[in-house]
Amino acid sequence: MLILAIDSATPVAGVALLDGNKLLKEEFSNYKKTHSQTLMPMIDRVLRECECSIDDLAAVAISAGPGSFTGLRIGMATAKGLCLASGKPLVTVATLDALAYNVLRSQDLVCPLLDARKQEVYTCFYDVSAALPRRLVEMSACSPVEFVEQALHLAHKFGREKILLLGDAYYPYEEYFQKTLGEKLLVAAPHLMYPRAASIASLAILKLEAGEWDNLFSLRPHYIRLSEAEYRLGKGAQ
Amino acid sequence: MRESLILGIETSCDETAAAIVRNGGEILSNIVNSQIDIHQQFGGVVPEVASRKHIENIAGVVHRAFSEAQLAYSAIDAVAVTNRPGLVGALLVGVSFAKAFAYALEKPLIAVNHLHGHIYANFLEHKDIEFPAICLVVSGGHSSLLLMSNQNKMEVLGETRDDAAGEAFDKVARFLGLGYPGGPAIQEAATKGKAGQLQLPRVFLDRNDFEFSFSGLKTAAMNQWNKLQRRGQANVYDMAAEFQAALVEVLVEKSIKAAARYQVRTIMMAGGVAANQELRNLMLKKTNEAGLKLFYPSLNLCTDNAAMIAANAHYHYGNRSFAPLSLNAYPSLLSL
Ligand SMILES: [Zn+2]
Repeated sequence: MLILAIDSATPVAGVALLDGNKLLKEEFSNYKKTHSQTLMPMIDRVLRECECSIDDLAAVAISAGPGSFTGLRIGMATAKGLCLASGKPLVTVATLDALAYNVLRSQDLVCPLLDARKQEVYTCFYDVSAALPRRLVEMSACSPVEFVEQALHLAHKFGREKILLLGDAYYPYEEYFQKTLGEKLLVAAPHLMYPRAASIASLAILKLEAGEWDNLFSLRPHYIRLSEAEYRLGKGAQ
Repeated sequence: MRESLILGIETSCDETAAAIVRNGGEILSNIVNSQIDIHQQFGGVVPEVASRKHIENIAGVVHRAFSEAQLAYSAIDAVAVTNRPGLVGALLVGVSFAKAFAYALEKPLIAVNHLHGHIYANFLEHKDIEFPAICLVVSGGHSSLLLMSNQNKMEVLGETRDDAAGEAFDKVARFLGLGYPGGPAIQEAATKGKAGQLQLPRVFLDRNDFEFSFSGLKTAAMNQWNKLQRRGQANVYDMAAEFQAALVEVLVEKSIKAAARYQVRTIMMAGGVAANQELRNLMLKKTNEAGLKLFYPSLNLCTDNAAMIAANAHYHYGNRSFAPLSLNAYPSLLSL
């Protein structure tokens, strides 16, 4: 069962091709270029090298957010285009779930952090002691201060000795996290800090097997936040 | 020219659109999903809100274009998409979708300049357009005069220095409390008033170039309106009529001047503001007096649509001028 996974939720662009539980190829790029220019050529390289075409796929998977609004839309528009043309199912995976899946079988409280601008982070708290990451709370956008408060609270509540942070929003607040979390703080290894298309593909296979694919005609990214204009109008959540 | 059946995709502003056109002239389907009622509550197009609607609607709109044309996806020869100018976040949805859709179907991809697309709306309805021609493209996003020497050569003669014509309509309409979108609102109000009762400047008309400026006109209208209100003499209908006249006269005079300067016998109008009745009437009168031929699209092809994108792409298809998978979107007009 071939799954093509696409991720452009953060400054990282990633494409992976997974055959069942065998990763065939993964491209990862965290270097300047814009996703709109790099993503399709990456997809083409991955498929070509593995002598596959879109027709050979069982499904296309996409990280559905949270993340950069524009980045999410580039990835999702690409996935929708591939799936509409080919009739393949589109499977979404939450960006934070995929990040948490980078560090499994751990007794720590695992907290992925993505840059949400405006001095905030997108985050969630996970139990990763089993085969799959399990969200302990809802995904949200919050300040680093609120994040640390909640991390300490949840670590206490669930009896976790260590709090493991990963994701690109760790670095801008590194000093603050070191100061406030002290001995409890763990940080993922550099190669596990970022969303990986391979993680998205692995989670997507499970969803596909469970029949959980998405409707191309109504699917939208999981932004968490309203647009500025909607905030000002005081509209309900999207 | 090679035969072609082209899917066009357009997401540069607040319309999610897809169309299928044969040979640049025959519309098989033309789907436009307008977000106008959503942006109305904000008093104008909000880029992030527009992009969010585009990603939600794009697959459905493209699918409908095929089902109305009663075609399978694989029946098309190429996928064309607007990649400039426009709101970048909005353009990126169409560009990303189009690239992937074309790739999965193994069809060539064609990048279309939105401004050129507007001009090609004329070729969907008029089969007897002669070159060279002067093209006036006026909408919420553009006010440009172009010289079109033939199907493959277009040159910008002049552009607006500040607000586009449609933008000026929107801002003044909002200021006068006439609502959004401003073009139709001012046109409607103007029918109840009379131009010439008030005096607004014909900006740049004295200049010997083909540049426009509508920000000065907008400011003059607002200042005069404030004064009139203080004196208790404010008549919104006369103001709307005078504002519309001041804007339309400049557009028409400059187009006629450009035709004379470049010894051109044809004028084409395009873009949302080309739907303005006063502009159509005055341009018809002046082109008749000057012995010029005038073309403009019907109302639904003046505003943003994807049929015009597919129509323009037909000529790129003939030249085999295809875009790479690395195609990007750009806010600016700069030629490709
Ligand atoms: Zn336009």
